[in-house]
Amino acid sequence: MKTTRLRRITISSLWALAGVALVLIMWELVKFIGSLIELPLKTDDTSMPHVWSMVSAFGNPEVRGSDTSVLEAVLSAAAYSLLIAFGGFIIGVSVGLLLAIIMQRFYFFERGLLPFVIASQTVPLIALAPLIVGLGNRVSFGPVSWTTTYSVMFIAAYLAFFPLSVGALRGLQAPRPTSLELMRSYAATPKQVLWKLRFPSSIPYLVPALKVSIAAAVVGTVVAEISTGVKGGIGRLIIEYARETTSQPAKVYVAVFGAILLGLVATALVTALDMYLTRNLPKEGKA
Amino acid sequence: MSNVPAGGQAVSVEGLWKIFNEGASNEVTALSDVSLTIIAGEFISLIGPSGCGKSTLLRVIGDLTDASRGVVEVAGVSPHEARVQQLYGIAFQQAALFDWRTVVKNVELPLELLGWDKKRRAARALELLEMVQLADFANHRPWELSGGMQQRVAIARSLAVDPPLLLMDEPFGALDEMTRERMQNELLRIRLETGKTIVFVTHSIPEAVYLSDRVVVMSARPGRITGIVDINLGERNEDTRETDAFYSGVTEVREALRGRSAGGNHTRIGEV
Amino acid sequence: MTKRLSLSLIWPPVLIAALFLGAWQLLVIANDIQPYLLPAPSLIAENFTSDVSLMWAAAYYTGTTAFLGLVFGTIAALIMSLLAQRLIVVNRLITPLAAGLATVPIIALTPILNNMFNITSRTPRVLVTMIIVLFPMFVNVTRGLLQVQPVQLELMRSLNAKPRMTLRVLRIPNAIPFFFTGLKIAAPLAVIAALVAEYFGGPQEGLGSRIAGAAANTAYGRAWAYVVASIITGLIFYLIVVALEKWTTPWTGRSRST
Repeated sequence: MKTTRLRRITISSLWALAGVALVLIMWELVKFIGSLIELPLKTDDTSMPHVWSMVSAFGNPEVRGSDTSVLEAVLSAAAYSLLIAFGGFIIGVSVGLLLAIIMQRFYFFERGLLPFVIASQTVPLIALAPLIVGLGNRVSFGPVSWTTTYSVMFIAAYLAFFPLSVGALRGLQAPRPTSLELMRSYAATPKQVLWKLRFPSSIPYLVPALKVSIAAAVVGTVVAEISTGVKGGIGRLIIEYARETTSQPAKVYVAVFGAILLGLVATALVTALDMYLTRNLPKEGKA
Repeated sequence: MSNVPAGGQAVSVEGLWKIFNEGASNEVTALSDVSLTIIAGEFISLIGPSGCGKSTLLRVIGDLTDASRGVVEVAGVSPHEARVQQLYGIAFQQAALFDWRTVVKNVELPLELLGWDKKRRAARALELLEMVQLADFANHRPWELSGGMQQRVAIARSLAVDPPLLLMDEPFGALDEMTRERMQNELLRIRLETGKTIVFVTHSIPEAVYLSDRVVVMSARPGRITGIVDINLGERNEDTRETDAFYSGVTEVREALRGRSAGGNHTRIGEV
Repeated sequence: MTKRLSLSLIWPPVLIAALFLGAWQLLVIANDIQPYLLPAPSLIAENFTSDVSLMWAAAYYTGTTAFLGLVFGTIAALIMSLLAQRLIVVNRLITPLAAGLATVPIIALTPILNNMFNITSRTPRVLVTMIIVLFPMFVNVTRGLLQVQPVQLELMRSLNAKPRMTLRVLRIPNAIPFFFTGLKIAAPLAVIAALVAEYFGGPQEGLGSRIAGAAANTAYGRAWAYVVASIITGLIFYLIVVALEKWTTPWTGRSRST
């Protein structure tokens, strides 16, 4: 009971680090075994560089003679992707919340839309990525011309929106009948019920939905970048570096590290949001 | 103690202490110097406010938790040995039935763990379901049954290995009053048919009085026995709950609870 | 659960779907929207029906990758979960890692796996699918093995059941609904992973390759038809899991006994 959440998070992070260390040790172990006997995978230094060559690759110049290091290039690409993912996340969450409110308020829309929202979670909507990104620079809305960056953000938003609307709807419907009857006995307006009862009760459902949404936005951004080669982000960098494996085998690992970092930063942001939103809830009551 | 059938010691508890988180800042004394002897065939109720350690006492007897200090014997052996030998059956407030098993398979569970063959355990389980009048529901799923019926399945399961001792932890606590009274009659009938020793935890005074030969009254902080009330109602029937003897039993238990618990509260306020 | 699907449950989604498709068709025709922007539903349907054998071949390729990844990933997750419920160290090592990896685009590992294994084979794709499937399956199954009602554990203890017995009689049956929860997340993910892994190069037979290829050839109607085929593939995976769940665990979806 005495352990604060921050401490619990620190402890589990340390365990996670130990887990990562274990993965790295196994990596080297596989390489070592591969040098002794024939394995069904390539364990030479080109296909599986040593952990230390990956680390040293962080400091290498990005291209010969350049004064930006690989790490700097990766970090700026990851930051760029994070920005797009976050933009998509914000748009997706806003639209998702709005839709959830509409579905909660009007039974017809719940009946009519929910099956599609649920079905959409089970189908590979990301397959649309190459098509939507293809819109880039060909459309304009008044003075604003649609760039490929918007396309990537659109995909991120699209993927983030579905899990959130389902979670939010479940949350808005969470209040017990007695709580609703209580509000009715106060002659509360629908708006008051929404603000005073439904929103607060939806938080235990909203938080996990936010986590799924941010994950979807991040993965969506990276995949959209990969599937179309939009420049600037980490997805494109992974593809580019992967092509250089024969000359610089460790380089692509820095980019993958960037993608992992991107995911972790996104998780950290949502965890902080989670801690803020659930600060008044009993610990066990949290979903 | 006129209702007590002749018999040996079913359970003996001597100087029992149970302290949770001993030595830590959140140390709690759940049981303080508890001694109690239960005679074979006796129906004993443990009653008291929450936190008085009545459930903990039951759990120590069942070896579901360890004693901190003191000696506990069940049928002449340690609680651990009694558990290994399956000398008791237990029923909880929650029926704790497995949703993925049918009713009859739930009753068979203890026999399955003992390695009984299929035919024999099915026959035994059906026999028990007949005793609790649920034979017709043998192949239903637990969630198709009402709360009272689920609890009867749990009681049948606790009787599966035919243990001499039944431990019951508020088994009727979640049932409505009417169902509860029916279940009490049923339990007394089963007791009469099987001659089990029963240790029954409850927080209902009328329930304790109606069922028991002796009511053990406990109080909280620290958990201890503050009195034992003998009940002499003879054979129970539909009118028993309206007799003067019943009312005076209820009054006596209530007095025992109130007298001691008020003192207990007082001490606590003094300490704080 | 009502046995028959009532009409009031069916008509709103059907109506909305019809309205949506109709509006889409009208919008495209009335504004003369070019297919690269948004092909009309009729054009997509036309492409789908005329090339149905191509659709099937692509879906079969990607579906096979997804299925293999799903099976291997699930088996690996089950082994890890059994270890994690027995050994607290394993649980502590893997659980935070699995939680952290939820937001990591694991698909980014594909080029690495392409280097380690033969890029012209299906192996790297199956492997990345397997890794993506592994974590939601592990998290859910482990939860199912560990989140047993305390009273049921007490009952098992009162019955003097050994840990292995408790695992067999209580923990594993208890984990089955959780297993299906995980599988319902993992099965669509497997299709997505198998499809997206194709964007990293390698054999060009699958849905992902076909979508990208058709888009590159400005055959937008066909690209969208492949998207429809992808959606159907994903839906089939999901529905198979749902059917399996209904068939194997008739006790779920009911209120739990207390």
